[in-house]
Amino acid sequence: MFTKVLIANRGEIAVRIIRACREIGLETVAVYSEADRSALHVRYADEAYLLGPAPSRDSYLRADKIIDIARKSGADAVHPGYGFLAEREDFAAACEDTGITFIGPKPSAIAAMGDKGVARATVVKAGVPVVPGTEDVGNMTDDDLLAVAPQIGFPLLIKATAGGGGKGMREVKTIEEMPNLLKSARREAESAFGDGNVYLEKLVTGARHIEFQIMADGKGNVVHFGERECSLQRRHQKLLEEAPSAALDDDLRQRMGSVAVKAAQAVDYLNAGTIEFLLDKDKNFFFLEMNTRLQVEHPITEMVTGIDIVKEQIRVARGRALSYKQEDVKFNGHAIECRINAEDPYNNFMPSTGRITHSLIPTGPGVRVDTGVYPGFEITPFYDPMIAKLIVWGETRAQAILRMRRALEEYRIVGVKTNIPFHQTMMDSHRFMGGQYDTRFVEERFSLEEAEESRADFGEIAAVLATLAAHKQTERSAQIVQRNERDASNWKWVGRWERMHR
Amino acid sequence: MKYITTVEGKEYTIEVLDDHHIILNGKTMLVDFVSVDGQPVFSMIVDGKSYEAIIQEGEPEWDVLLRGRLYPALVEDEREKRLKTASGGAVEGGEYQLKAPMPGLIVTVLVTEEQEVTKGQVLLILESMKMQNELKAPRDGIVGRIRIKAGESVEQKQPLLSLH
Repeated sequence: MFTKVLIANRGEIAVRIIRACREIGLETVAVYSEADRSALHVRYADEAYLLGPAPSRDSYLRADKIIDIARKSGADAVHPGYGFLAEREDFAAACEDTGITFIGPKPSAIAAMGDKGVARATVVKAGVPVVPGTEDVGNMTDDDLLAVAPQIGFPLLIKATAGGGGKGMREVKTIEEMPNLLKSARREAESAFGDGNVYLEKLVTGARHIEFQIMADGKGNVVHFGERECSLQRRHQKLLEEAPSAALDDDLRQRMGSVAVKAAQAVDYLNAGTIEFLLDKDKNFFFLEMNTRLQVEHPITEMVTGIDIVKEQIRVARGRALSYKQEDVKFNGHAIECRINAEDPYNNFMPSTGRITHSLIPTGPGVRVDTGVYPGFEITPFYDPMIAKLIVWGETRAQAILRMRRALEEYRIVGVKTNIPFHQTMMDSHRFMGGQYDTRFVEERFSLEEAEESRADFGEIAAVLATLAAHKQTERSAQIVQRNERDASNWKWVGRWERMHR
Repeated sequence: MKYITTVEGKEYTIEVLDDHHIILNGKTMLVDFVSVDGQPVFSMIVDGKSYEAIIQEGEPEWDVLLRGRLYPALVEDEREKRLKTASGGAVEGGEYQLKAPMPGLIVTVLVTEEQEVTKGQVLLILESMKMQNELKAPRDGIVGRIRIKAGESVEQKQPLLSLH
C-alpha cells in the first residue's frame, strides 16, 4: 500500500488532491513549472520539484521527468488530476512498469475509451445506445467523411478522435461548408492533441448534456453516484454544472445510471470515471463519451452525496473495496458549480492575464471554493483560464440558486477580468431559474447585454462612483503639481524630483 | 469641481463640494467614499445605503462593476466638455491599430497587406490559455502593415497590424 503520492498537475485540482491526501495522512509531492514556483500546490505539498519551463510540453506534459521525480522522491503513487497526462495510457503504463500506482483506470481502459471510435464500438457491443455517426473510425480521409456525411444527415458535428474539452469540434450545417470546417477542426486537434483524426456524429438538437459519475473497485463493484447537468456551455466548454438535473426523475436516473455502469463494465473499468450522455427532448439518451479521470465538476456530486470522491479514488487504488454499495448512495439537496475563468465576459470572453492584486473569497453556510490562486499570484497565458470553482449547496434547487447569487456577489477578484458577472446574470435569468435550457442556451438564447437591461438599474449610483473615483485621481495628480506648502524650497524640490526621475 | 458623467446614454451633472458632499442633478447628498485597502475596490455609503464596486480606468470610460453588471461611465470635466462641444467633437481616427489583447502565440495570419476586409472578418488567430482566439476587423478597411508572422509569440498590447 502506497504512502506517498505525487500529484502530476497544478492549480485548483492539485490543491484538491493534496487536501485529500493530507486528511488521510499520506505524504504529498508536488511538481511545478518555472511559472508556478509560488503556486498554492507547491506551498501546500510536503515536497516540491521543478519540472521545467512554463509551457506545458516542457513541464506538466513531461511524463519521463515526472516518473523520474516520483522514483527519486520515493513517491509510490501518482494522481494525474484532469487534463495534462490524465488520459494518456502510455503514462499510466509507464507508472505501472516502474512499480508506481497510477490512481486511475488501467491503461487498457484509458486506451479503449480515449479513442472515441473504439469507445463507441465497445459500448454498442454492450447494448448501450450511441448517437448515430461514423462507426468504423480510423484514419478517415476528408473524401471518406464527405461521402458519409449525407447518410448521417445535417446538421452534424466534426469531432476529434483524441478529443475532449471541445477542441477540434465543429458544427456543420451544409455539405458546402464542410471541407473548410474539416480543415480547421483537424488543425485545432493536431495542435491540441498531436492527432488530427476526426469523426462525424449527428447533432442532436435541443439536447441536454447529462453525465454520470461512476466508481469501480478491483473487487467487481461498479457504483454510480448520480448525474450532473452540464448543458450550460460556451464553445463546448462547460461554464456551470448542477446536480441533480431538473430533466431527470427517479426512474430515468435509475435507467441511465445502470447503462452508465454497463458502459464502465464493458471496458473492465477501475477507479473514478464519467459517462457523458446526450438527452434529447423526448428523454431518449445516447452515450457520448467516457472521461477516464476525475472530472472538474466532481464537487457538486460530493455535495449532494456526501462522498469524498478523491478519497474513494485513493481507497480503490490501494486495492480496497468501495465504501459504498449502490443502495448506500443517497442524494440530498441540490448543488451548483460556477467555473470562475480569467476571461472578459464583456469582450467576447477573451482570456485575461495579470497579477491578482485583491481577492475576497465567499464563505458562509453551504459555500465551497476550490482554487489555486491568491492575491499576488500571476495568471499567465500558459495554462487553462479556470482559476476557481465556486460551489454551493442548498436544500432545494431554488435555495441553491439564491445562495449562489449571494456568493457570487461576495466574490471579489481584482487584477484580472473574470466571468463572475456572466454567472450573476445567469442566476437572474428566468430560463435558468425554470431549469429550461439545453446545450445551445448560452450561445443562442442568452445575451449578457440583453439580460442586463432587464435587471435592476444602478446607473445613477454607477455615475456617482465613477465621478468620485475620477475626482480622487485628479486630486492626487493635482497634489503633485501644486506643492506650495512644502517645507523645502521649490527649487530644492524640483532638483530632487528630477534626480528621482533620471 | 463640476463633472458631467454619462452612463448608458444618460447624463448626470455631479458637483463635488468636499470630501463628503456632492450635488447630483441639483440635489445635495452626503456620501462616504473610500477605497478598500488601496485596491480599485470602492465602498460607498450614500444616505445610509451601502454599495461596493470595482472601478477601473478604461479608455476613455471608467468601468464600474456594480452588483454583477458593468456600467461604462464617461466622466468629463464640465469645462472640458463645453470646450469639446464648441470645437465640434473629436475627429474619427483614420488608422486602426490591432493590438494583441493578451500575450500569446500567433497561429495563422489570414490576411495579406493591402487586402480589403469587411467588418467582422477574421484577421488572425491568436492562441492563449489553450484557446484559439479569432481577432476580427472592427470595421471595413484595407490591411496596412502586418508586423507579425505565424509562429511568433507576442506580448500584450503589441501592435499586430493596422487597418486604414
